[in-house]
Amino acid sequence: MANEKVLLVDDEREFVEVLSERMGARGVDVDTAASGVEAVDKARQGPYDAIILDLAMPGMDGLETLKHLLDISPDLQVILLTGYATVQKGIEAIKLGAMDFLEKPAEIQRLIEKIQQAKANRLMLVEKQSEERIKNILESKGW
Amino acid sequence: MDKPPNHRLPEDRLAFFGRVGADVSHDMRNTLSIIGEYAGLLDDLMTMAEQGKFPDYAKLKGLSAKITQQVKNGTQSMERFSRFAHATDEPATSCDLTALVENTAALAQRRVALAGCRLQVQLPDRSLPVKADPSILQQAVFSAIELMLQLQEADASLTVKIVAETPAAVITISGPDAVAGSQWSEQLSGLQAMMKDLQGSIEAERTSGTCLLTLKVPTQ
Repeated sequence: MANEKVLLVDDEREFVEVLSERMGARGVDVDTAASGVEAVDKARQGPYDAIILDLAMPGMDGLETLKHLLDISPDLQVILLTGYATVQKGIEAIKLGAMDFLEKPAEIQRLIEKIQQAKANRLMLVEKQSEERIKNILESKGW
Repeated sequence: MDKPPNHRLPEDRLAFFGRVGADVSHDMRNTLSIIGEYAGLLDDLMTMAEQGKFPDYAKLKGLSAKITQQVKNGTQSMERFSRFAHATDEPATSCDLTALVENTAALAQRRVALAGCRLQVQLPDRSLPVKADPSILQQAVFSAIELMLQLQEADASLTVKIVAETPAAVITISGPDAVAGSQWSEQLSGLQAMMKDLQGSIEAERTSGTCLLTLKVPTQ
């Protein structure tokens, strides 16, 4: 099975570097972005199995970035990983469509499991969309 | 419309301490996360060594230095927060303005960074005793920086300066004036009340795309 492809979004350069290295060693293909704007640009070029997104970033914050990402594709699997966690922010993120909300520091194994779950979710959605398309084609042809 | 903040109200004082506490706790989580990831990477490399993969000794040494630096950063952050918190230990009527402004500006750096701005601090190289309650004065300085941030667009540069004069020490906070803040004047009046309680004053000058806040604090 192909490696999971992930976009890691955080303005803390050292955190991104070391986490990317550790995820890479575990077979995850990691792209990085240091801001919400950069994340949205990269997401347009996608596809990613999961986007790991910080909440508190200069300029466009995590929730604003999440909205833009889901505008690009509502099926994007976005996991918030933040040191700025409050119950209110967590609820807001999930309501906006985030897949999950984790607090820093997070165990890498837990993060990898969430990424694998995100990939499974995405494949399921892609399959469902394919089935819909096939169904529509069959119906339009009267077969 | 929200009422302007009133430093005399317990809930507004608490809100201020909460804001600073939240900023510091966020910084500490980030620092601890980085240390945690470096420790995890160290563990990963040791596991590889156990599997017969030759460890990169230069990398190991580098990791140790990075962890040490992060511990230093975290310690500094906690020391600043401790100074901030201890300002309320007992009723005080004097403090070192240089140390207070340096500490308060450092605590405000996270807010400044999140606004996409920079904060430069120009301080005298000696202590400057002033007659002021340090817990209220640090709230005034922090709130003044927050007020200036409301006028900024991304990439702006703010400057905090202390000019020692008698009978009052003068703190100036200057920067561009790019955005019309609708609640700015209400918040400024809250700051004016705070400075009046300190037997000092604050004035705001907004001209030709720049803003200058001038806080005066009585010296001993």
